[in-house]
Amino acid sequence: MATTADNFQAHTDDHAHDADHKPGFFARWFMSTNHKDIGTLYLIFAIFAGIIGGAISGIMRMELAEPGIQYLQWWAEFMGGNADFDTSLHMWNVFITAHGLIMVFFMVMPAMIGGFGNWFVPLMIGAPDMAFPRMNNISFWLTVAGFCSLLFSLFVPGGTGPGAGVGWTVYAPLSTTGSTGPAVDFAIFSLHLAGAGSILGATNFITTIFNMRAPGMTLHKMPLFVWSVLVTAFLLLLALPVLAAAITMLLTDRNFGTTFFDPAGGGDPILYQHLFWFFGHPEVYIMILPGFGMISQIVATFSRKPVFGYLGMAYAMVAIGVVGFVVWAHHMYTVGLDVNTKMYFTAATMVIAVPTGVKIFSWIATMWGGSIEFKSPMVWALGFIFLFTVGGVTGVYLANGGVDDVVHDTYFVVAHFHYVLSMGAVFSMFAGFYYWFPKMSGRWHSELLSHIHFWLFFIGVNVIFFPQHFLGLQGMPRRYPDYAEAYTFWNEISSLGYHIMALSMVFFFINIIYAFVAGKKAEDNYWGEGATTLEWSLSSPPPFHQFSELPVIEEHHDHHDHIGTAKPA
Amino acid sequence: MAGNVNHEYHILEPDIWPLIGSISALTFTSGMVLFMHEMASAHLVLGLGIAGLIATFFAWFSNIVKEAERGDHTPIVQLHMRYGMILFIASEVMFFVGWFWSWFDFALFPSEISEVVGGQFPPAAIEYVINPFSLPLLNTLILLCSGTTVTWAHHALINGDRDGLKKGLWLTVILGAVFTAIQAYEYGVAPFEFGGNTYSSAFYMATGFHGFHVLVGTIFLIVCLVRAYKGHFTPRQHFGFEAAAWYWHFVDVVWLFLFAVVYVWGGWGAEFH
Amino acid sequence: QDATATEQLESVDPAEAADVADPEAVSAGSDAYTPMAPTEGKGMPVAGGIDIQPQYSETGEYAYGLHIWLFWVMVVISLFVLALLLYVVFRFRKSANPVPSKTSHNTTIEIIWTVVPALILLAIAVPSITLISKQYKTPPADAITIKAIGYQWYWGYAYPDNGDFEIVSNMLTEEEADARGEPHQLAVDNRMVVPAGVPIRLQVTAADVIHSFAVPSLWFKMDAVPGRLNERIFQVDEPGVYYGQCSELCGARHGYMPIAVEALPMDQYNAWVLAQGGTVAGADEAGVEADPSLPPLQGPESSAPGAPGAGAPPVETPAA
Ligand code: HEA
Ligand code: HEA
Ligand code: CUA
Ligand SMILES: [Cu+2]
Repeated sequence: MATTADNFQAHTDDHAHDADHKPGFFARWFMSTNHKDIGTLYLIFAIFAGIIGGAISGIMRMELAEPGIQYLQWWAEFMGGNADFDTSLHMWNVFITAHGLIMVFFMVMPAMIGGFGNWFVPLMIGAPDMAFPRMNNISFWLTVAGFCSLLFSLFVPGGTGPGAGVGWTVYAPLSTTGSTGPAVDFAIFSLHLAGAGSILGATNFITTIFNMRAPGMTLHKMPLFVWSVLVTAFLLLLALPVLAAAITMLLTDRNFGTTFFDPAGGGDPILYQHLFWFFGHPEVYIMILPGFGMISQIVATFSRKPVFGYLGMAYAMVAIGVVGFVVWAHHMYTVGLDVNTKMYFTAATMVIAVPTGVKIFSWIATMWGGSIEFKSPMVWALGFIFLFTVGGVTGVYLANGGVDDVVHDTYFVVAHFHYVLSMGAVFSMFAGFYYWFPKMSGRWHSELLSHIHFWLFFIGVNVIFFPQHFLGLQGMPRRYPDYAEAYTFWNEISSLGYHIMALSMVFFFINIIYAFVAGKKAEDNYWGEGATTLEWSLSSPPPFHQFSELPVIEEHHDHHDHIGTAKPA
Repeated sequence: MAGNVNHEYHILEPDIWPLIGSISALTFTSGMVLFMHEMASAHLVLGLGIAGLIATFFAWFSNIVKEAERGDHTPIVQLHMRYGMILFIASEVMFFVGWFWSWFDFALFPSEISEVVGGQFPPAAIEYVINPFSLPLLNTLILLCSGTTVTWAHHALINGDRDGLKKGLWLTVILGAVFTAIQAYEYGVAPFEFGGNTYSSAFYMATGFHGFHVLVGTIFLIVCLVRAYKGHFTPRQHFGFEAAAWYWHFVDVVWLFLFAVVYVWGGWGAEFH
Repeated sequence: QDATATEQLESVDPAEAADVADPEAVSAGSDAYTPMAPTEGKGMPVAGGIDIQPQYSETGEYAYGLHIWLFWVMVVISLFVLALLLYVVFRFRKSANPVPSKTSHNTTIEIIWTVVPALILLAIAVPSITLISKQYKTPPADAITIKAIGYQWYWGYAYPDNGDFEIVSNMLTEEEADARGEPHQLAVDNRMVVPAGVPIRLQVTAADVIHSFAVPSLWFKMDAVPGRLNERIFQVDEPGVYYGQCSELCGARHGYMPIAVEALPMDQYNAWVLAQGGTVAGADEAGVEADPSLPPLQGPESSAPGAPGAGAPPVETPAA
């Protein structure tokens, strides 16, 4: 990496035995104040949530494999409803709501920010831990509490059946007067709890990154992953409280007679959408920016070249973050915006393609002239760059307010956001996972299994989501459990793709088990000279407390062009 | 820790309170749901949650105070806390942005369709509003005044005048309590009820959340007062006090906006009670 | 109704209109309207289709052109990135290029890849903004107003300029749809009938939660928001049946409240209106009026509680 492509002296004597003194099991995992352990907890939690969210999407794809209602009634009975027609249909809404919320708040965010962020931000900036280790822990447990609250919601009455069937966007008045019963309240509190955890986490990351960089590591020498987490943390800090206010209004409208969103009392359902998307759009960048950061590290490592246009890369993320705050109403083109508003949001939204393009082309330029090795993290990164581009350009398509009128709330949108999430965000997560897994666990996964995982997953998700573009263009609305026969063919294909994807995940889990059972021991810097950031100067896994003696980053005049080697002391 | 430690960061021992705090938070929110739906054992669950939260806050901040007194809060750790507090306040500002956003939406675009609003703001259903230039103005002065007393306390502290510190804090706490009392009284005699229309929804929620923050700020200041009596704080190291003061100023500024936007501008043209 | 006496309306043969508007004739005339048979592939999705449905409105046709332009932009950019990736992967693989270069800056290229995308976006923005202004053209003052009202879970269509009657539109069951030769999930008992070829002022609102009135083949989608009246010009080029579906999550039967627009030539439209017990401006002037006490003749066929895809009829017909 350009930033740490410098000689640094990590005269750590972390290998001294008492640095590795670990607390007992309960204290270590339930009372942790150690950023690496908390990161591990987040990753385990995210994998667990990913399995649940992925399983729910399996139920969804099963139901959509053919027209008609196949399985929903069974699920309604299973969840304790009386399973009449409406309750069965309600189950659909519960599933998509749970799927969306789990994937967004309990899979991607915990994995990227809580997991990789916690693990590698301190390591990469040469810090012994996070700024607020105890607060770090409550961020994690609040996320778990939020997840529990969401699970509670599944088993209590919502609207026409058990669970909250309001979509991950929780639009009023469906979520207020439209859904009596405690399920929606549990779901709302779930967001409060997880949101509080994220806000605390954001303050922790910003403070850590600003104050705890090792001597000599200026902001402009910081690895891009750290930059990405910094920008993400600012987005969290400023966007989440607005969501908190919005969903608090939902609560009081539901339970205490306020009329924020109730037209009878003069309230405005569209106000909720403004508040939600003022949070919601930054949220989508929250889910992708850390991925951008990981991809930068990985592409540089396996090209054995510093990142091309380092400063441009860092400031592109800042630009994406800033512009991301002023484009929210592109999710609301059909609510009846006035003409000037719609034109403004069309233009503003498209602007984001420019800094994002800078990133795409800079990654390619990083590889240009490199000496590329196709280790598993790299193939995931390559997959990311292409598939994210596909998802990004469909985003630009949607940005056109007048065009969006025909595809809004259709499967075209579903295809768009799964290309950027289930391929963009998830590919970057798997890339990061394979990149750092031996560093975190000290053991090698099987590169072969990782490659099989990649190819099957790549094929699977494309078969799932590419046909959804066609469905959307043909007019199939989203959040539908049933559809006109004309949509059958591509839905069948899409559900078929799910099987391929599910098969690939088997290889992922076998791979993890393999690594722990029979994996080779990982060296300190197992990727070799391309990997230059500070975590590679430490053992794998790093000592319980690292950098008791801070590493020093030396000043180089041409630091961006210089490839240094990590010199672990 | 290892023999050679050349940094002054605060490496903490494992702690149970984050877990307890989270469980308490979940208990509290679940209790709220039970309470709102008048379900069984609502009060028990809610009570447990609140007790757990209070215990967590108490234990957590006691620990921080202990660590501070023990000297764990090196200059860099104090700097962390400054950053943390500023960022926390920034997020609080965004929280209030949400409430002001709804206020402006209702005030600038009053609903034509709703009978209780009738296309005007304050809505048709609001016969009288609170006269901003009586108690609210008094409250504005009280808060501004408390802003100066807390600054007085701060300067006293910096200059080693512990007596002035205590006096200033006492005054600030008293002013805060008076503010809260007046606000409570005003809620009691307000010429409009809670909810039912946009004005009284947004009014009570915005001022109510502000009131809650005043309460938290007052407790924060009381803690500082107690600590002052215990002999905590030195002229050079007293971030606990500063954080309370910052928070207090933030609450003060939010009030100024509330006063200008909600009380004065928002009630413009309506009759006073 | 006087304000809405449009040229088109006047073109109705007053004698004929008066004839139909005769209360006696209304009940007889109701049989005269039979729902138009839909045309395969028009106004509905086709099996295995991959593109936007053919468009039957002026803005839709313009928008379709922009869609094609955007399609090519997307394809070219995606393939360009793919090609670069494949080239780089092949050309700079370790075995082909064992020693990496050290280049990490090139101001020229960085400027190019900032400016060129910006120019492409400009080339998108111009037609895009044009499209929006077309869609927001105010309907002529004398345009007929039709109001679509979303209910959980069916649509109501009110005709304030034609005597303010409201019809209720429920989804047909599969058997009913088969019997009428219409597609499942899209067919309804009572369609929203509109005159073809003339601008209509379409107002959209909802009674309970948010719904969205959407017809893909007319490039039209507008949310039905309780407490708001969204209004937009709506014009269908030619007679036909155009299906759409509720496009905002509105609860359990969100997927079961389709929309079917039937566009008819103006005179047939007027006849239909009169058959509903509505009024036509021309007829009004001729001193003939439908009996307002007559209920709408097309009762919702599947509105019986419990029937799949059935809603309850509206509690009351909102006045004006
Ligand atoms: C990781 C998450 C993520 C990301 C990164 C994005 C990125 C973008 N999104 Fe997406 N979006 C979502 C997640 C995301 N989105 C979600 C979850 C929804 C649905 C929410 C819901 O309703 O439930 C959504 C919905 C959504 C809508 C609303 C659609 C609708 O409901 O009708 C719109 C409209 O403007 C939009 C636009 C964009 C744009 C312009 C980008 C841009 O940032 C993309 C920029 C990237 C590129 C353009 C590719 C790379 C660039 C180049 C190679 C340079 C050259 C390119 C050009 C000149 C075009 N998105
Ligand atoms: C990150 C977000 C994310 C992800 C990954 C996915 C993944 C998938 N989604 Fe989903 N989806 C959403 C976010 C996401 N989705 C959202 C926000 C909605 C809208 C909800 C709404 O309308 O309200 C939605 C809606 C949605 C719909 C539309 C429903 C409807 O409108 O009626 C469908 C239909 O096919 C679908 C399918 C799938 C499938 C088959 C996958 C598969 O790709 C799933 C495969 C599983 C994985 C890819 C997870 C594997 C990951 C792990 C096991 C963790 C690994 C962890 C580490 C490496 C640390 N999703
Ligand atoms: Cu009505 Cu969806
Ligand atoms: Cu967006």
